[in-house]
Amino acid sequence: MSEQPIPTFKLVLVGDGGTGKTTFVKRHLTGEFEKKYIATLGVEVHPLTFTTNFGTICFNVWDTAGQEKFGGLRDGYYIQGQCGIIMFDVTSRITYKNVPNWHRDLERVCETIPIVLCGNKVDVKERKVKTSQVTFHRKKVLQYFEISAKSNYNFEKPFLWLARKLVGNAQLEFVAAPALAPPEIHVDPALMKQYEDELNQAASAPLPEEDEDI
Amino acid sequence: MSDPTEETQQHKEEEIDPQFEPVIKLTDQIQTKTFEEDEDVVFKMRAKLFRFEASTTEWKERGTGELRLLQHKEHKKIRLVMRRDKTLKVCANHSITPEMKLQPNIGSDRSWVYRCVADIAEGTPTAETLAVRFANSEHAEAFKVAFEDAQKTNSGLVSAEAHPATETSQENKQDGVDNTEENPKEEESKEETKEDEAE
Repeated sequence: MSEQPIPTFKLVLVGDGGTGKTTFVKRHLTGEFEKKYIATLGVEVHPLTFTTNFGTICFNVWDTAGQEKFGGLRDGYYIQGQCGIIMFDVTSRITYKNVPNWHRDLERVCETIPIVLCGNKVDVKERKVKTSQVTFHRKKVLQYFEISAKSNYNFEKPFLWLARKLVGNAQLEFVAAPALAPPEIHVDPALMKQYEDELNQAASAPLPEEDEDI
Repeated sequence: MSDPTEETQQHKEEEIDPQFEPVIKLTDQIQTKTFEEDEDVVFKMRAKLFRFEASTTEWKERGTGELRLLQHKEHKKIRLVMRRDKTLKVCANHSITPEMKLQPNIGSDRSWVYRCVADIAEGTPTAETLAVRFANSEHAEAFKVAFEDAQKTNSGLVSAEAHPATETSQENKQDGVDNTEENPKEEESKEETKEDEAE
């Protein structure tokens, strides 16, 4: 489409294991909400593009291992990071207590980059870290958002805030992404039969139930 | 969504606003083409969309947002487009073809399961088994009516098109003004080759 290369930013995503970093990234990538916990080994890099009123931008998200034993290169992942997200879990005090350590590591390598502190899992009723107890960001000039990867509460805010800082424009908003005309493919009956089998299988697999707002 | 923390949160947002040197300064507003410009919304309803992962027989959520049926102003064909809330990314984008059949999902009176041969929500066309869930059974029923009407409309167009392609593509050229290249055509052949580079 446009000749210009898409502005791309390296985003380093850190925080204790199990706080929901990978689930958060997947939520943005495919829309899914992954309940199973599979510890990330080392790092996984995912490009996340957003359409904005100032054009398309891309975050290369470095989703790092939260668990010490799976840490891998650590500082090596932070090099040339242009922005960061530190995630903790509001249902686990220790994950908030460790925030200063993650921040120190990040700052040592990346110096002054825009960083968002995210308190995840705010959909859970039994919170252990109350909003009023979260004060770290004030001392260190981070932006704080309470989010829920499960309910999608505020899930776009960290990227929106970072995007505005990275391009120096507070007017940036997300806008509708292009939706090209889909092709029309007609299938032959044999293939259709095969599809029907999968369809029947799908129809008898219950959808994940949840108390939700549609 | 109402959340008790929202007020405090917004208060805080105002409190601190750290400044950084921008990595790249973007100052020009850009109008991104949605490719919905020549379409009318014939149906819209909030919904949650899932895709079936056959290898694990699992439903995976694809997004929550407004599901819409869009009818092209000229050739009258109707497609289904759904975007996620807030980020406005496309989570469903496919034609509505006569062989599609809405089936209920076990244990739900507000969902439909259907098979789609070429959904391009993620760029390249993929065959998907999708499920769409609405707030209640009335909404689900309204969708079914609109979807089946769209099927009738679209199949009527197909049978009327005894001599397809040539005439319509010329019409499009006249209307497309300067950006005929980007203008998605209805002929399948062109579409397929263009899909990759356009994303």
